[in-house]
Amino acid sequence: MDLLSYTLRRLLQAVPVVIGVTVLVFFMIHLVPGDPARTMLGTHADPARIAALHKEWGLDQPLWVQYKDFMSRLLHGNLGDSLYYQESAGTLIMGRLPATIWLLAYSTILSIVIAVPLAALAASKKDAARDQVVRAVPMIGLGFPPFWLGIMLLLLVALHSGGFFPVGGYGNGFTGHLQAMFLPSLTIALGISPILIRSLRASLLNVLESDYIMTARSKGISERRVMYRHALRNGVISTVTVLGINLAFLVGATVVIEQVFAVPGIGQLMLNSIFQRDFPIVQGVTLVFAIMVVVIYLAADVVHAMLDPRVRFD
Amino acid sequence: MTTPAASFAVRSSGTALRRSAVAAVVLSAVALAAACGGSSSTSGSAGSTAAGAPVHGGNLVIARVADSESMNATTVFDNESIWVFEQIFQMLYTVSPNGKSVVPQLATSYTLSKDKKTYTFTLRKGVKFSTGQPMTSADVVFSIDQARKASQGWGYIDGAIKDVKADGPDKVIITTKYPWAPLVADIALFANGIVPKNYGGESETEFYTHPVGTGPFKWDYWHKGSALKLVKNTHYWEKGKPYLDSVTWTAVGNDNTRQLQLEGGQVQIDEFPPFSTATSLKSTPGVHLNVFPSTRTDYMMMNERYAPLADVHVRRAISYAIDRQALVKAVLFNQGKPANSFMPPQVPYYDPNSPGIQYNLAKAKQEMAESKYPHGFSVQMLLGAGESNERAESQIIQQELQPLGIKISYRQVDPSVEFSDQQQFKYQLGFSYWTMDIADPDELVSFAVDPSQGAKSFYTDYSNADVIKWTHEAERTFSPSQRRELYAKIQAQAAQDAFMVFMYYSPYLYATSDKVHGFYVYPTGNYHMENVWLSK
Repeated sequence: MDLLSYTLRRLLQAVPVVIGVTVLVFFMIHLVPGDPARTMLGTHADPARIAALHKEWGLDQPLWVQYKDFMSRLLHGNLGDSLYYQESAGTLIMGRLPATIWLLAYSTILSIVIAVPLAALAASKKDAARDQVVRAVPMIGLGFPPFWLGIMLLLLVALHSGGFFPVGGYGNGFTGHLQAMFLPSLTIALGISPILIRSLRASLLNVLESDYIMTARSKGISERRVMYRHALRNGVISTVTVLGINLAFLVGATVVIEQVFAVPGIGQLMLNSIFQRDFPIVQGVTLVFAIMVVVIYLAADVVHAMLDPRVRFD
Repeated sequence: MTTPAASFAVRSSGTALRRSAVAAVVLSAVALAAACGGSSSTSGSAGSTAAGAPVHGGNLVIARVADSESMNATTVFDNESIWVFEQIFQMLYTVSPNGKSVVPQLATSYTLSKDKKTYTFTLRKGVKFSTGQPMTSADVVFSIDQARKASQGWGYIDGAIKDVKADGPDKVIITTKYPWAPLVADIALFANGIVPKNYGGESETEFYTHPVGTGPFKWDYWHKGSALKLVKNTHYWEKGKPYLDSVTWTAVGNDNTRQLQLEGGQVQIDEFPPFSTATSLKSTPGVHLNVFPSTRTDYMMMNERYAPLADVHVRRAISYAIDRQALVKAVLFNQGKPANSFMPPQVPYYDPNSPGIQYNLAKAKQEMAESKYPHGFSVQMLLGAGESNERAESQIIQQELQPLGIKISYRQVDPSVEFSDQQQFKYQLGFSYWTMDIADPDELVSFAVDPSQGAKSFYTDYSNADVIKWTHEAERTFSPSQRRELYAKIQAQAAQDAFMVFMYYSPYLYATSDKVHGFYVYPTGNYHMENVWLSK
């Protein structure tokens, strides 16, 4: 089976997963107490006005009818209209998606940039001082709650950067995004890196004891070349899977990071929509999150297979 | 209208405060006041440090907890929307800076007929919409008619109006169904803001995606959930204003991030920093803490359908047993003051001498002894989950009522369920609050003490025939002195009946950069960005 067929098959297999997620989310969000009409109209809204809004939004229908309508719209590519903004949920979500994708992509890159050299440094001399330091220090980052770490980065870095790193926000244009999204992405990366470093270090130590590495060394190849040219490619294989799993979890974590850094992404939209009981948005964002998780897992598998020719697409 | 008794310094998720711009003369005075000061904390005045003559230019950013919901002034209830579109729409009259009266805005004056039912408004000359189109009486008639029709919005506030018609290009006649003293205050509600006739040829929905008005700023963009920007209206009728080139409101949910953005100069105004941060903000370089008097009053509601709470002696005992100063300290970090009336000080006809019950444990015990429940009873308190202020208040009150033998248990529900349960009387004790929308007490008084008004006396079922009679008399009495007398009687009797525990009055906190001048928040919660300027 070639790469394309494999990818298509995996995507098809993901369809029931995504639908399952929508069913769960649809019914769970409706189980949560609270009424979007009352949230919108305020504390002492007239019951008649609330009833009129229920009717307008179809919330007076039985739940199964609402789900049927939701799925019917979904099959036509329509996520419905936001109850709060009275605008297409799809448009609102698509408007917010780039910021979240930026966050995830940027944090992935930063995680790799941090993890790979440090893991290579640690593995280059097992149990040496540098190995101990590399293993111990990043673990501190793992212990910090992301919201606290985020606030600290804002306070200690952004506030004193003379505007180079904005105190939250998304920035304008490519350079603006690059600057504004650095600290939120770093917050995420500092949380993932310790796991990646340990995983990659262990793999590299394993690989560095292989016969082919010994052969390479016996040919007089420099230690740096041995590490980056020969050991890393094999050592990184298992780390790709670890990174994929962590990134999938991080899709949910963006809710916290986006809130702390005022990043206008779908995590922040999701949080606000839950408070507003904006059902179509919550359902839509969950759907997008589910798709992102599936895509990240799929990407991890594909990269894994590309790095390791022994893995077959079947 | 009211908002849920919930998080201070956080967005009010329901209806609330409001109102729009102010007449030129009054505003000049406010702007002048704003330019004065110099301390790091201002109470009841405006703006920041002394800075000389206003400077034109600059882009100001206001960071706040949540985004706007809609720009449709006739139907929307959240402050985050209202305070934005009040920079676009203006009314014939608007609330005065002290919140106690109205002043001309797009009208210059009005006359009232002898039968007190016909108001003739003279329109201000030279007013244009931001499109450059002149404003006429036809626009005014159309706008007020639209507001009246908004049955799912603010239409009820114009319920006394029978007819609105134009009398030539510069006059508008409003006829009421009966003599109605609060009419001009009602007309000053933002929902009666003036828009072009027939929405300038667009549908209502289309129009409110890029609204047009006569105000100092006009529409630029709205990235929903993130940022909304208005830019200077070059056709604005007040000469030399606005000073700013643009105002942007950003939604920054995290309190710490907003404060850091202010310190870092990324935003110039932090809307509603938590009361707990007031002390640190006062000592932050380059930041000015503004404490503006508001119309917010917090109450503990007592449902009279629960037998023990129908006993006036029990209600008085509870009211005497609650130390309001302790609540002010715990919840407002001493930034507010105990309430003596269900009406706040910034409302017309508030009586500073109203004998609202204050903390007195001896009297509480005496009232309890005179009640049908001298040994106490059990009662359940309804709380909104996650509402930290309610939680703090409930714990204090639980301890304070113990000496009376009153045992409080809690029932926590989602905040929106909390309001619903209050409306349906599915509670015994609960919390709520009120903020004013108009410069007339009738909005609050009829809601709070007239059980025929749908709210059933703030959902307490309190009913006192004299109070109801005085309320209706005050609605139809035009003499200020007579109205003052009537409202004083209402406040005194309501206090005597202890139909709710009037807990405390709280201010609005705004942290601003010391480059911001002329920023002043009215007791109704609105502000006028045409007076604001940024020093270099």
